[in-house]
Amino acid sequence: MDLEADLVVIGGGMAGLIAGTIAAEEGLDTILLRKGQSATAYSSGAIDVIGYLPEASEPISSPEEGLFALSRLYPLHPYSVIGYDDRIESGKIVETIVERTKEAITWLKAHLDGTDAPLMGDFKSNMHPITILGTTKPTCLIQKTMDHGDVQTREDSVLLFIGITGYADFNPSTAAKTYLEDRIADTSPPRIVGHRTVQVMPFGKPYNLSSVELARHLDHEGTIEDLAEQLKGHIEQLGATHLAFPPILGIQNALKNKVKLEELTGTTVFELLGFPPSIPGQRLQRALETIFTKAGGKMLLGHEATSYQKVNDIVKSITATAPRREIKIDANAFVLATGKYIGGGIAGDEKGLRETVFDLGPVTGDYHSAMEIVPSRSTSRLSISPTGQPIQSCGLSVDPRFRPVNDDGIEWAKNLFAAGAVIAGYNYSVEKSGLGVAATSGYSAAKNAIEFIKEVT
Amino acid sequence: MTKSKFDVVVIGGGSTGTAVARDCAMRGLQTLLLERDDIASATVGTCAGMISSGLKYRDEPDMMKICSKEVVYWNHIARHIIAKNPILAPLLDLSDAASDSSYMESYSEHVEERDVPAMMFLTPDASIEIEPMLHPEIIASVYYEEYFIDPFRLCLLQALDARNHGAEIRTYCEVIDFEINDKQEIEGVIFYNRVSGATERVETKLVVNAAGPWAHKVAKSAKDYLPIRLNKGAHVIFDRRIVNIGITVKAMDGRWIYLFPHENTTLLGTTALDTWENPDTLVASFDEIEYLLQSMETVLPSIREARIIRTMTGVRPLVPDWKVPERNVTRGYRIIDHSENDGKKGLISFLGGKLVTCRHMAEAVTDLVCEKLGKDIACSTHEKPLPGNEDDVDIIALSKEYDISLHALERMRARRGTEMVKVLELTKEHPEWKTTICTCEPIIEAEIRLSIREEFPQTLNDLRRRLRLGTGPCQGTFCTYKAASILSDELGLAGDDFLVDILDFRAERWKGIRQSMRGEQLAQEELAQGMYACVGNLDQSDVDYDVKPWEEGF
Amino acid sequence: MDENEAFEYVKSTLKKEKITPYQSDELEIVKSIGACINCGLCINHCPVVAAVGLDRFSGPRSIAVELSRSPPEFWATADKVYLCTGCGTCREVCPKNVNIPEIVNVVRANIFEHRPDLVPKGLMIVKEIIEEHNLAFEPWEDKEEKEESRDMRLERLGLPSIPDIVKENAEVLFYPGCQAEERAQEVREAAKAILDYFDVDYTLLDEFSCCSLPSQLMGDAKTARKLAHQLKGKVKKLGVKKIVTTCAGCTSTLADLSVRDEWGAPAYHLLEYLVEEIGFEKLADALKKTAKPNDIHVSVHDPCHLIRHTSRQVMEHALNILRLMPGVRVSESVAHDNCCGGGGMVSFHASEVANSVVQENLIALEKTGAERLVTPCPLCTAQLESNLFKSGSSIEVDDLTVFIAQRLPKKG
Repeated sequence: MDLEADLVVIGGGMAGLIAGTIAAEEGLDTILLRKGQSATAYSSGAIDVIGYLPEASEPISSPEEGLFALSRLYPLHPYSVIGYDDRIESGKIVETIVERTKEAITWLKAHLDGTDAPLMGDFKSNMHPITILGTTKPTCLIQKTMDHGDVQTREDSVLLFIGITGYADFNPSTAAKTYLEDRIADTSPPRIVGHRTVQVMPFGKPYNLSSVELARHLDHEGTIEDLAEQLKGHIEQLGATHLAFPPILGIQNALKNKVKLEELTGTTVFELLGFPPSIPGQRLQRALETIFTKAGGKMLLGHEATSYQKVNDIVKSITATAPRREIKIDANAFVLATGKYIGGGIAGDEKGLRETVFDLGPVTGDYHSAMEIVPSRSTSRLSISPTGQPIQSCGLSVDPRFRPVNDDGIEWAKNLFAAGAVIAGYNYSVEKSGLGVAATSGYSAAKNAIEFIKEVT
Repeated sequence: MTKSKFDVVVIGGGSTGTAVARDCAMRGLQTLLLERDDIASATVGTCAGMISSGLKYRDEPDMMKICSKEVVYWNHIARHIIAKNPILAPLLDLSDAASDSSYMESYSEHVEERDVPAMMFLTPDASIEIEPMLHPEIIASVYYEEYFIDPFRLCLLQALDARNHGAEIRTYCEVIDFEINDKQEIEGVIFYNRVSGATERVETKLVVNAAGPWAHKVAKSAKDYLPIRLNKGAHVIFDRRIVNIGITVKAMDGRWIYLFPHENTTLLGTTALDTWENPDTLVASFDEIEYLLQSMETVLPSIREARIIRTMTGVRPLVPDWKVPERNVTRGYRIIDHSENDGKKGLISFLGGKLVTCRHMAEAVTDLVCEKLGKDIACSTHEKPLPGNEDDVDIIALSKEYDISLHALERMRARRGTEMVKVLELTKEHPEWKTTICTCEPIIEAEIRLSIREEFPQTLNDLRRRLRLGTGPCQGTFCTYKAASILSDELGLAGDDFLVDILDFRAERWKGIRQSMRGEQLAQEELAQGMYACVGNLDQSDVDYDVKPWEEGF
Repeated sequence: MDENEAFEYVKSTLKKEKITPYQSDELEIVKSIGACINCGLCINHCPVVAAVGLDRFSGPRSIAVELSRSPPEFWATADKVYLCTGCGTCREVCPKNVNIPEIVNVVRANIFEHRPDLVPKGLMIVKEIIEEHNLAFEPWEDKEEKEESRDMRLERLGLPSIPDIVKENAEVLFYPGCQAEERAQEVREAAKAILDYFDVDYTLLDEFSCCSLPSQLMGDAKTARKLAHQLKGKVKKLGVKKIVTTCAGCTSTLADLSVRDEWGAPAYHLLEYLVEEIGFEKLADALKKTAKPNDIHVSVHDPCHLIRHTSRQVMEHALNILRLMPGVRVSESVAHDNCCGGGGMVSFHASEVANSVVQENLIALEKTGAERLVTPCPLCTAQLESNLFKSGSSIEVDDLTVFIAQRLPKKG
């Protein structure tokens, strides 16, 4: 049985869900296909906007200022493209870019309020949350559970990293050492950093504990009290003012748990930024899905877009494949938010890269065709460096309305818009810009798709 | 380190060096092994681990005889780290069969003692039933059996056994000079300790140079000369056992190449290119990867669809035969007594050789060493088992006793045999150490702790050699930071050193991943970048990171 | 040694090394597993990990990156691999759609062949029943008692009794599945009543036999192939154009077999048949005529084999049909698509695991305030019903087929 919609969004991460929510809130009949979860779900759950300019080594203190610089220096960056729409006066280009990003980020923060992943922070300044390695990173918004309060400003702050016996994803002693060395070098508080281990045993065993079972366990009544009881002695012993936990404080009750633990212990409690499989990432994913379905959008899980029908320069429909069935969906416009290599929006072999749904030709970070590149040659010899891996900047080249373009710069279809990591021209890992670009491009792609749909109907 | 006087200093911690140290120590000699990096960190660490019947070298019947005998010894002293490797050589046309009829006979000469059958022919249908990925138009295949040994554990066990017999094993100690007296006799060895940064010296009566691809450089430090032929070989590694049994085929240039299930991966190798580069800088080239894939594609057309996780590259230290292709260079070894050619007295060097013959080589050189020292003690390295080989292990019973998963224990058994109980005992006091750290292999925390305490690793890469840490599909994406924490705890490292350990291991894994990047390895790398650069912010870290040899010059 | 002896020799070596060569239809599955990047998203969503923890069940990712990498070691996964309920949640959340449920079957098949001593005893009992009766459950010894039980159920549920029809060249084969054939007979009868009401030209099998899913799930590949072959013969002989079933597991299995073995007749769940062949219009007409609709507040459980092994759209159909029913109010539970624990044969040897998997569903269900739970699968019905009963809940469970049949007017 075929389906019809105004807008079909392909991909259910940050970019796709924001695009879908915007469209559904506009009253459009919106179907979102999701083949699987992806990078958003295993992000640390913080929203990076811009942490470093490409190749730079000093962090950006304000996303707003970062955007000003970026839009001047990198006009083809996914943040910047929107400013170069011919409808925008040349004097307003930079302002438009900064405003649109701010609008998208503000929208996101407002919409996630009251969900399982409420955010804090603002567009004016980056925060520097601590990671499970004991390092810090610049980011724009964090989940409220990650709020470390005045640990880095209060002169007498004493921070304890709390590990859990048998939970290998976080080692409090190395995190404490690394963080303390960082603070000493920076000559700022906290000047005392310790580490302790507590026991949380959802199934009665102190080994092979996963983040999800700990988080689920802490969602249950009574568990926070037990935890507080164990912590008391440690806190007194060191005079701890702040407690850093791995990001496992709960799925549905994480923020409540933080507040409760703070009340019970008289300290500031916060979650560190962690690695996948990530609970804050899961909370963010759930929260985004909630706002999408609340807006009236329809999710089609377990469906992969496998083919499309295009007449002239209009995509008419796509075929979605579930494990044992197929379905055709007609729509007026489509948003492609399939991610990069993890999401599967871009795939490659030793002969080159391709976009996977519409077989479009990706480009490299400097906008040469990536269809015939040898991936290993688009890499740096250094594994982890500020240069990053150039292959991670490959993706689709889009016009100022976020439509993928051909070699000649003309859009491939009038009604196909791209958003998120499938777009070329930025390396989110080194820029610290992943979810910010996803949110902003999802936001803009949806606005453009809505405009197009209103024109044709 | 207590002693400063030795009977013999062995240079090189590869298969040969560790075998020599073991033999010397077992014969009661005061023995010191010096290795500039880690045990099994060079040639032997990049081989497929086949202890072969010498089939490829049938023009050297003596070699084949030695190989066969050595396989028997290995199965006696190290069966816990050995596995059988059934192999098919599919034939696409009759000329394949005709051109090599002699090898079937040569192979079959010593089969009984090795406890394998003679070579046999299989029909196309039977072949395809055994391996459905085979080209549908093969006309027949030849079946034979070989054995594998875990090359890392072998070297480590030889080193540990040498230590048990009184030898000193010093890794990260690079020989930089020799003390030579007026009579051109070597009296002492000077080496640089790369961990402490100190220069040290020891006195010795004899030096055995088993430095493999650096043997000529060691000779040069002794102001002596050793001609050598270095030859690069590369492997492509797949994420799991993608074939049911081993496949061998003739490559486009007529060399034999192979695709072997190995532990829980599959190895495709090898190439052979004469090289004059610094072995530390070598990586597999695009051409080498294509040479292997295209050659294997002739019999396994879908090989490219499988997941390639990395490449590995090593250097063969061959006997310096000129005017012959690599495959015709003898795989026999030579022992060069430098004193015989007016060279330095007390310096003995190795050239050539194979993994399977390392014990034999050690026996021969130790005989010579004993003769020079005027001692008459018989070799027993072929009789006394290596640690862990003593008995069978009941995995199911151990799993019940210690509440650890069967598979984690089975993998541990394949590394440690009966010695695994030492690891398990640690979990009695520390049940939390039952936690899996490397999810691909799998490795529990207790084994990592035991290895750090007893097997002298300095880096995560050293742990990889001892435990297979980070060798699975994700190539250390998920175990690097966890294992680095444990290493940091055990060695009492500073926070910066912890981050450096992470960066070092990422660099070492990336060395092999990068060359064959394609398919899901693009996603794997996006994930690794997302973790270590995006979240961890380590791309912006200001720790003292030493650029690696293969990272220089871009 | 001649070639035949050689082949026998090689096979015996492989047997000693515990290698069962991957067959060509397994290569796709093996390839799919190779796409795993170890991210662990699946662990966050696996219902068995949630229920028993990662130590007891190491989770889907360990199956992909660790346990399924080396056939000679498959035996050493026996303490983990039988705890997978095969719900397919991992495959659905996975960015790469790594086919964990299928590789689990491949691994179990290897253990079944090489280390039958490590196969849970509970599964071996089922194996014997299947071998003897071609059914996953011990059949009734006394035919009359079976009929009595059926009639009692029909009476209690107010369903019409319709005689069995077996004939060649019917449009549709109705295939009830083992549970509805032997135990939940009301589902079988309800489906007949629905098909009859809409004048569908249908037939039953003259002798029922299992779809082979239980054999696949326990790793008994040989019996699975035998059953599939047997069923193909029956379908071919009847000459039907379509196959309709009321069991979720049968839906996905028959859909596969029909393609793999070229039956020439596609297989559907009854819900799909109703929506796509009968159509909403006719359904709405019929359901509106329900004599005296009692107001009822229901919640729905989505069977894994429909939503994750077939298509999420099937349950859209279910909801759309429920919406057509006068007096029926539907409240969605937050755990509507969670595995009930009844899959993967887990309940046959580790019922405590199966029963802890379902707990989350029960809690969420209570929160909906619904008085009844409906689900289009007799196996999910049984698992949910027994656990609701044990927990002292007042919520009743109906197979959706029965629920629909009850709300059709009398024919004529």
